[in-house]
Amino acid sequence: MSAADNSQGITPMLAEIREGIAQGRVPARIFNDQEIFDLERRKLFGKAWCFLAHESEIPRPGDYVTRSIADNSIIVARDEHGNICAHLNMCRHRGNMMCKSEMGNASHFRCSYHGWVYKNSGELVGVPYFKEGYDTRLDRKQWGLVEVRTESYAGLVFGTLDPQAPSLDEYLGGFQFYLDIYLKQGLGGSEVHGPPDHWVAETDWKICAENFSGDGYHTPVAHQFGFHLGYFPSSGATHSEGWAVHIPGKGHSIGLGHTPGMPPFFGYPDDLVEQMHESLSPQQLEVFSKTRTAVGSVFPNLSFLIQPFSLVPGEPGVRFCTMRLWHPLGPGRMEMWSWCLVPKGASDEYKEEAYKAYTLAFGQAGTFEQDDFENWTKVTRAAGGSLAQGLEFPYVMGLDRPPLEDWPGPGHAVSPYVTDTNFRNLWGTWADYLARED
Amino acid sequence: MEPGAMPQETPASDRPEAGALITDPHVAGDQDGPIVIANEFADVIVSRVRTRNGMRLDIWSPRRGTRVQLDAVELDCLSYQEPETFTAMLERTPGA
Ligand code: FES
Ligand SMILES: [Fe+2]
Repeated sequence: MSAADNSQGITPMLAEIREGIAQGRVPARIFNDQEIFDLERRKLFGKAWCFLAHESEIPRPGDYVTRSIADNSIIVARDEHGNICAHLNMCRHRGNMMCKSEMGNASHFRCSYHGWVYKNSGELVGVPYFKEGYDTRLDRKQWGLVEVRTESYAGLVFGTLDPQAPSLDEYLGGFQFYLDIYLKQGLGGSEVHGPPDHWVAETDWKICAENFSGDGYHTPVAHQFGFHLGYFPSSGATHSEGWAVHIPGKGHSIGLGHTPGMPPFFGYPDDLVEQMHESLSPQQLEVFSKTRTAVGSVFPNLSFLIQPFSLVPGEPGVRFCTMRLWHPLGPGRMEMWSWCLVPKGASDEYKEEAYKAYTLAFGQAGTFEQDDFENWTKVTRAAGGSLAQGLEFPYVMGLDRPPLEDWPGPGHAVSPYVTDTNFRNLWGTWADYLARED
Repeated sequence: MEPGAMPQETPASDRPEAGALITDPHVAGDQDGPIVIANEFADVIVSRVRTRNGMRLDIWSPRRGTRVQLDAVELDCLSYQEPETFTAMLERTPGA
């Protein structure tokens, strides 16, 4: 029986799928399949550390945003004492949604159904007709909002639904080294520039997660206008150059594209580059100074991209940084969340320029974003077709290539940039989660 | 003493009762605002109102139809409360 046989459910085939991935084969159907989606909801998003918010989105006491982990709405708030906390966005009385706004500021949340009031740190405090109605039967201490475990790294707040999950540090497993290119842009670190763009796309989240795990391969073709019109400082002739790194068994990866002859940190203002000599380690500087494009993902569905992009074709590029969350809504359907991250310590002028470059390339109507989703939506549709159910894709690029021995950072690093190495680790980790006993 | 018996300039019909709120801050004197403070749970309209001899802060909750006017001493007192004080207030009267 082939790993992609469609005569039965997919669960008994997971062992075979895992073997296939190690040999460089991935079944097409995983990119649009109800059963896979149900498994992911329970076994992957129910267990992993999932991104919730950047701390700069809730800077002041009372600030909150609503986010999701799998199909659960989560309130991420900074309480009156400045601590960040996360709770299920569900009133404990009859289950009404507490916060319907996606962002706001409130010291207390008041339910719109029967009026229960909670502190923004989750404790139930106010119950209408408490004495008249409940006599002494209701112990308010037992009925606070359901807490979600959170931990942070360099401004990123993650949550997990699994009380047994290892620490976030262990989960990231050394990938912090690479995350710093996005999160430690200068001494003040990074902050969000405005609220995120978000929209629904008829695309499977995994296609995007794979692309942002270092798919430098698609860029000269899918984004050829970016190259030809002079928006993007790379050329088809050298575009394969660079490195691909992943953390084995953890699923996190990054592609580091390199343009020969490009000055170090091209596209950043000089004062920021100076600051980075303090905010980054010598090993990080060695890797990042040679990087034109850094496209990476924290498993399972949070991704980042830094690259220079010209506001006017042919002019020198401006470096921008985007953070994106591929939030699954159903098989082949997702909600796209996209932020612009800027260096906190940079000038307002640079922040504006970087935001413009982000919007031009990766806002909802951005040129690169349009190119990508056009392809991803078509892949998703095809993967759901009946004939595609028995098909596999080749993931053999770089299969025999040994890791670089003198690589200054953690993880498994290979060269060139163009390879499937990161993706095999991504899908291997994904399959491990799905196959794991509850 | 009968209201109206006191000698003063304001006609008796326009005079507020003791402890009564100033009913129309726009007429009551010059002010900043009104400022709207709102989130998804409540909205209030805040304005500075001038009484004959001083100033109060008017807090009006149009959805609920309630209003309070606080003087400097009351506001000063608010300024040093812990967040728990307000939690305790909401515990007593969550506002059904
Ligand atoms: S459902 Fe929230 S108070 Fe009843
Ligand atoms: Fe792309």
